[in-house]
Amino acid sequence: MQATAPVCAPKDFKSELKPIWCPGCGDYGVVQAIYRALANVGRPPHEIAFVSGIGCSSRIPGYTTAYGFNSVHGRALPIAQGIKLANPDLLVLAAGGDGDGFSIGGGHVPHTVRRNPDITYIVMDNQIYGLTKGQLSPTSPKGLKTVTSAYGSLENPVNPLMYMLSYGAPFVAQGTPADLPGLAAMIEEAIRYPGFAFVNVQSPCVTYGEEEQQIKAHKAHMKPLADLAHDPSDLLKAFDLSQAYGTELYTGVLYRNPAPPPTFEALARARQAELMPHALPRERILDLFLQE
Amino acid sequence: MTRDLIIGMAGSGGDGIVSAGESLISACAAEGYHAIMTKSFGSQIRGGESSCRVRLAIDPVLNPGGAIDVAVALNWEDFLKFGAELPVSGKTVVIYEERTAVAPDKLPLVGVTPSEVFAVPIGELARKTAGTDKAKNTVVLGLLAGWFGIGQEAIVAGFRKKFAKKGTELLEANERAFQAGIDYTLEHPLSTPRRMERPPTPGQKLLTDGNDMCAAAAIFAGCKFFGGYPITPSTEVMQFLSREIWKYGGTVLQAEDEIAGIGAALGASFAGRKAMTATSGPGMSLKGEIMGLATIAELPLVIVNVQRGGPSTGMPTKSEQADLYQAAFSAHGDVVRPVLAPTCVADTFATTVEAFNLAEEYQTPVIVLSDQEIAQRKEVVDPIDTSRFRLVERRRPTASELEHYVRFRATDSGVSPISQPGMKQGNYLGAGIEHNEHGDPTASGNVHARMNEKRFKKLEPLRRREDLFTIEGARESPLALISWGSSAGVCREALRLAKERGLRVKLLVPTLLYPINEDIYKSFFTSVEGGLVVEQSHQGQLYRLLRMYVDLPAGLRSFARSGANPFRPAEIVDTLRNLSLSLQRRVQDKLQPQE
Repeated sequence: MQATAPVCAPKDFKSELKPIWCPGCGDYGVVQAIYRALANVGRPPHEIAFVSGIGCSSRIPGYTTAYGFNSVHGRALPIAQGIKLANPDLLVLAAGGDGDGFSIGGGHVPHTVRRNPDITYIVMDNQIYGLTKGQLSPTSPKGLKTVTSAYGSLENPVNPLMYMLSYGAPFVAQGTPADLPGLAAMIEEAIRYPGFAFVNVQSPCVTYGEEEQQIKAHKAHMKPLADLAHDPSDLLKAFDLSQAYGTELYTGVLYRNPAPPPTFEALARARQAELMPHALPRERILDLFLQE
Repeated sequence: MTRDLIIGMAGSGGDGIVSAGESLISACAAEGYHAIMTKSFGSQIRGGESSCRVRLAIDPVLNPGGAIDVAVALNWEDFLKFGAELPVSGKTVVIYEERTAVAPDKLPLVGVTPSEVFAVPIGELARKTAGTDKAKNTVVLGLLAGWFGIGQEAIVAGFRKKFAKKGTELLEANERAFQAGIDYTLEHPLSTPRRMERPPTPGQKLLTDGNDMCAAAAIFAGCKFFGGYPITPSTEVMQFLSREIWKYGGTVLQAEDEIAGIGAALGASFAGRKAMTATSGPGMSLKGEIMGLATIAELPLVIVNVQRGGPSTGMPTKSEQADLYQAAFSAHGDVVRPVLAPTCVADTFATTVEAFNLAEEYQTPVIVLSDQEIAQRKEVVDPIDTSRFRLVERRRPTASELEHYVRFRATDSGVSPISQPGMKQGNYLGAGIEHNEHGDPTASGNVHARMNEKRFKKLEPLRRREDLFTIEGARESPLALISWGSSAGVCREALRLAKERGLRVKLLVPTLLYPINEDIYKSFFTSVEGGLVVEQSHQGQLYRLLRMYVDLPAGLRSFARSGANPFRPAEIVDTLRNLSLSLQRRVQDKLQPQE
């Protein structure tokens, strides 16, 4: 299934739809990184299913030539799992914003992780609700003033990196479109990882986002983990680094389980293979109820 | 000889009353009787009181019936808790535990004198023969077999199967307890014998409940994915599939919540597989948004709602038919989706298969509205010839259609060929957002109107589906019954009873509840002056739904009441009789001025 040389170029993954995003939105960089990653992975667009929820970033499947499913708010992960279980041969991507993934859809995250389907989940985290024009999001810093928190938010933000590590995600990374090659490489690695892979992208909202979360600031302050000689197989160190979410912008792979656990779909396939010899012919299924 | 017998039994949790009922109905099935068994419990998870009713007959059994012919009380306190579900009449034979120390002429049944009463030392017989109180239910089976002639051999054969793995000691103890019951009946015969007539054709019957039947039908229809969340009284659908669907290359996902359950099922459908979810009232409320997504993304999906008493938690273990409005209307935006209802366990097979067929044919969510009564009652079912069912697969694009593939292409039928991930050149964007023919998001009013029209138009062929309606009784009858779901079984028996009492009545049972097929109802109503729409809800939801779409005959009334208060055939016939008299008076009033 893996091609040695790319069968598709990045442009083959770009659809003709014109993004609705604001000029300068971080999501342009994310979609570019996805084109490059997919080209390197080498699967053709028709073998890819790309699912999203609702929000600015959830428009992203439509800007690719893959089979896209721009579903409802917060439900990208359950739908993506249904697709993967129904056809494990597909390359399945899920994407959305921080509100989609950690607020309305937050309940799906731990359960997706514990099942460990081979799905890559890309969250475009901008700490704000952009599509509905600037409300508080689950990753907004405490005290942030928005149109729904006129006097400053009273809540602590969630920490997506620590969440994912705590739930047991075998692959957790963070990137920014400020480093496009790094982001593309990270997404490619996530896709190639045989199990659930999470990429948190600090993707700035140019319209409602804070000054210190813009591309320029990222470029100035980002700390590539490669430069810190971080060993991604070190889970405790990954936890340690994840605590800096919101204060430091670490980029790169925080954690990569060196012994990938079996995926949900692999276990499901094994169960099917084990039980299929015991099936009654489908047209005789009612014999199960026969009383003699 | 007796052709129709209703047995009602109650005891405390450990008495094994339900287990006795199960042994009894298995024996009935093996002997070739038709039978229905319903169970009822107190609200405790374990222990507490429990009861069951078994109705067995030579002719098909259409509903659990009214007053019981045989009452078995292991203690009176528990029996009386099920008063409304186990009504004793002047024709009832009452059997009870002697140790309750209630005198046969002082039974705690206010104002009722049963036809015969037996105070039997049930516990004592159990201890004497099996060495344990636990065999009380087996003694009861012996009593029932002895007095009412229900196949002794079949019951003993059932023991052999049941205790096969538990050793011969237990089997022999049960055989002795059973024989003790029989011996007791020989020493104390009924004053009026009531032995069951032998069924004409023994053997080869199915025994199951509505939930298992629904799940089996899904497998037969080719369902490859189930996503759901446990909820009473629908959970057995998932339980059955978790045992069986893997054998057919399918997968069950017990999701983290109701929304994820239907979401995963919709994902599987997007990936090209037949998929289903099942739930009950509260879960149905949660699934609403994704049902709307299935409508606009034009994806096949079967959603089973086993109705229970509502709103909110309501009465999870009791049957009700009050989710019809929800099935028809719980969607934002302009939505029409087929709603089907089975009327009995046997019918659940055909109805579920039909739901898959409609979903695949029209690329739409389809709701199966079952109810707790059907879903959880055991029913003896005649073998079903599965070869007479046609299975529909979704219309996939041909090679030439894939050359310039347009997912939501406007077609004469409104149905567009549907591709799936993995299919080369079939790539498209599925979406909850309104889209043009290509699947591209749009905010154009014109496109939205055209797409709404398409999504409605594709269901137009349902107007020709007369086979989704059953009409019984005399065609030109002035009196009519309309009923759906489990209430339809009561009406079928009421129809039989009405005929015996000289009333000319016809019955319409819709399998397809929504969209309303106006033509079918109009033509049914041509001869009708009055009648009843019988359903188990406070509002009478089908009656009101019909009023919305069809001009109803002036004398057509709603005959509805809240769940957990099952209808009895006799009360329906009595009400029809009164209605017929009032219609006659109206005719008289019209005649008088001419005289």
